[in-house]
Amino acid sequence: MNKRLEILPDVFLTAEQSDKFKTGSLSLSLLRPLSRAEASANALIPAVLLRGCRGCPDIRAISAFLDDHCGASVGVLVRKKGEVQTTGFYSVFLEDCFSPDGSPVLAPVIDLLGRLLLEPVLEGGVFVPAWVEGERQNLLNTIDARINNKAGYAMSQMFKAMCAGEAYGVPRLGERADAEALTAEGLYGWYRQLLARSRVELFYHGRCPGEEVAELLRAALRELPRAVPDAYGTDASPRAGTVREVREQLDVTQGKLSMGFRLGCTAAEETYPAALVMNAVYGAGVTSKLFTNVREKMSLCYYANSSLEKFKGVMAVSSGIEFDQFDTARAEILRQLDAVRAGEISEAELEAARRSLLSSLKTGMDSPGRLEDYALGQVLLGRAGTMEDLARQVAAVTAEEAAAAARRVELDTVYFLEGVPS
Amino acid sequence: MREVSFDRLQERYAETRLPNGLRIRVIPKPSFAKTYAFFAANYGSIDTAFRWQGRDYRAPDGVAHYLEHKMFDMPEGNVMEQFSALGGSPNAFTGYTMTAYYVECTEQWQENLRLLLRYVSTPYFTDETVEKERGIIAQEIRMYEDSADSRVYENLFQSLCAHHPVRVPIAGTVESIQSITAQTLRDCYGAFYTPENMMLCVAGPVEPQAVADLAAAVLPASGGPAGRPDYGAPEAMAGPSRRVEARMEVSMPTFTAAFPCRPPRDGRDGLRQELLGDLAAELLCGESTALYQRLYEEGLIDSSFSIGYESVKGIAMLTASGDSRDPDAVTAALVEEAERLAREGASPALFQRLLKSAYGRRIRELDSFENICYRTCQTSFEGAEYLEFPDFFQSFTLEEAAALLAESVVPDRHVLSVVLPKEGRCAP
Repeated sequence: MNKRLEILPDVFLTAEQSDKFKTGSLSLSLLRPLSRAEASANALIPAVLLRGCRGCPDIRAISAFLDDHCGASVGVLVRKKGEVQTTGFYSVFLEDCFSPDGSPVLAPVIDLLGRLLLEPVLEGGVFVPAWVEGERQNLLNTIDARINNKAGYAMSQMFKAMCAGEAYGVPRLGERADAEALTAEGLYGWYRQLLARSRVELFYHGRCPGEEVAELLRAALRELPRAVPDAYGTDASPRAGTVREVREQLDVTQGKLSMGFRLGCTAAEETYPAALVMNAVYGAGVTSKLFTNVREKMSLCYYANSSLEKFKGVMAVSSGIEFDQFDTARAEILRQLDAVRAGEISEAELEAARRSLLSSLKTGMDSPGRLEDYALGQVLLGRAGTMEDLARQVAAVTAEEAAAAARRVELDTVYFLEGVPS
Repeated sequence: MREVSFDRLQERYAETRLPNGLRIRVIPKPSFAKTYAFFAANYGSIDTAFRWQGRDYRAPDGVAHYLEHKMFDMPEGNVMEQFSALGGSPNAFTGYTMTAYYVECTEQWQENLRLLLRYVSTPYFTDETVEKERGIIAQEIRMYEDSADSRVYENLFQSLCAHHPVRVPIAGTVESIQSITAQTLRDCYGAFYTPENMMLCVAGPVEPQAVADLAAAVLPASGGPAGRPDYGAPEAMAGPSRRVEARMEVSMPTFTAAFPCRPPRDGRDGLRQELLGDLAAELLCGESTALYQRLYEEGLIDSSFSIGYESVKGIAMLTASGDSRDPDAVTAALVEEAERLAREGASPALFQRLLKSAYGRRIRELDSFENICYRTCQTSFEGAEYLEFPDFFQSFTLEEAAALLAESVVPDRHVLSVVLPKEGRCAP
């Protein structure tokens, strides 16, 4: 049962009471408009906060506290949802009833979260400079480490080129140059603004009744400064112009192809369920056209798939191929999209796509992490429905509606990561 | 079926063994929508040299993984489409010691389970389909070749072992898979996919007896003895310390340091040593130790750092992994700290805290159907019972953990594998 409460001004708790798991979870997200000006600062702040707070003055003390509470964990959670950046914490912990000595876990963990957010250790009235420096270096390392995962790197480079003039072109953790310029003083000043000017979303999943969780959170967050929250939202994707082609060379053994498309709709629109089915028929999963043709029939690759970003309304196709197969793979990927556009969707393909989506939505209801993500998404979209409601809409999508969704899709950018000529 | 419950964990299962030798465990989870069925063979990438039906075999490297890919073929076509019609999401993986096939579904669980059992018990390989897969697997191997995490482990095992088959990457190499034929796959299937060498584990809103009845109806009534793998003579893994290095397109050095310890005597000892080994590692450099804090504050490690225990048939070690600008300094600090602990002793209060923390985390891991099915099959193949872990936690002492550390993390006996950025890549 899902409960939604405004526990403080512009601080909302979604509580899903359930006794299915031995683990409880709680997320705390500040919602921000995604912009270069603040993205890297927003990404850095929770990492600095996790270095120490009142009662737990360094990382060792925080870890000891978590160990003492049956191996609870608190981590940084920074997300990019369309043109909204969320920053905050994600915590998982053993349900109180499994605590071996009967000592409580939930209440102390919520209290810790409040202290981490609101009572950082300060030095000269600002964040501890050495901690800011250390975490800034970790952030820079994480930004640089994008390159380690070649498939992910190819996709992010593609979106960067495709959405260069849009807020969506800003990376999740901001730009390297902006992160480099952050100081303890500047960051602390922004942190105080961030606390006051952000809508806060909390999501709890576990055995405790929603009202009790709300009470604990109200107490833990009572010192949260409140002002009028800044607006956030995502501009709809513009239509594609001339297809852009970007190539990059690295010393790799496999080429990575990433193709970016404008989807022609977002999850806030009525045509979204049809776009989901279209994506499943086209490139998501092992019965999709991309998998069965580009991989199975042509043996061009180990993976070829498409994925949607529902907030911005964009689609990416990714594949790992031999360098000299670029033209062949690109042509086949577009040919399969044309087939969907032309309505070449068999009854079996449509049924498989719908079933796989339904199954994924139903298993999502068994996953606290996916419930949290979906609930936050609905808040950002300003929609009320549950995964169950979406499942009902998906079940009703026809082949023609899926084909029509494919006809709205436009190719925008083709990116290819290739090897260095030897 | 035999019903077992663990009141403290609020867990229960029903178990039986079919006349053909297959062990079946069902974990009823009535409040869940999804059912997860996991069908595993006690057969992995390291089982390339084996004796079966009086003959010695030496299969090409990467054969278990190749076989896994080709199991999805049925005389009537690829089994994926049939799963799709049933709303099931099937997948599979090959590890060093296990190959597992699984399906997750929210409707028609009996039909999905039936199909899972049917396709894994139907070896259907033709020269044409085996040939067709070669390009796909070659691209999968190329993908791993560009992954620093894969490389760092593969290099570690190559340096750690003189001959143990764990030296070879799980999928083999583009060269080694060239000689795999339909006949190779038939031989390996025959030798290892026998009911007594497999286990079925199902979690979800299901009736245990229905699972057992279905398996009895679908699977062959009998099966022969499994092949006996040969991993060669025990690995000495004695010093001196070695360092292995590769350069790749990465932004920052990444490393794994391995500190060999005594391989467990049997499965039960293995589970015990794994739990104890994780504790010993945490005692050395877990997040609540002074050493972790120092290394973190000096910028030598970051949140990617992890430390724990790992083992593969005859190989056991404590490992420390992560990204670091100076992996050698991190490794040296670990050895130094182990020497200090041996001299001065570890903190009993810290040990008690770590016990509580490890226990809580292990309990939480039971929430994952994937995890519990995998753990159950893995320990069962070794002859142990995973759900006994709370009893082990009650028996551990600080002295034992310290002894494991003192035996393993010593000067001049470790192997350090690092992947460094390509020369010329600008340091951040």
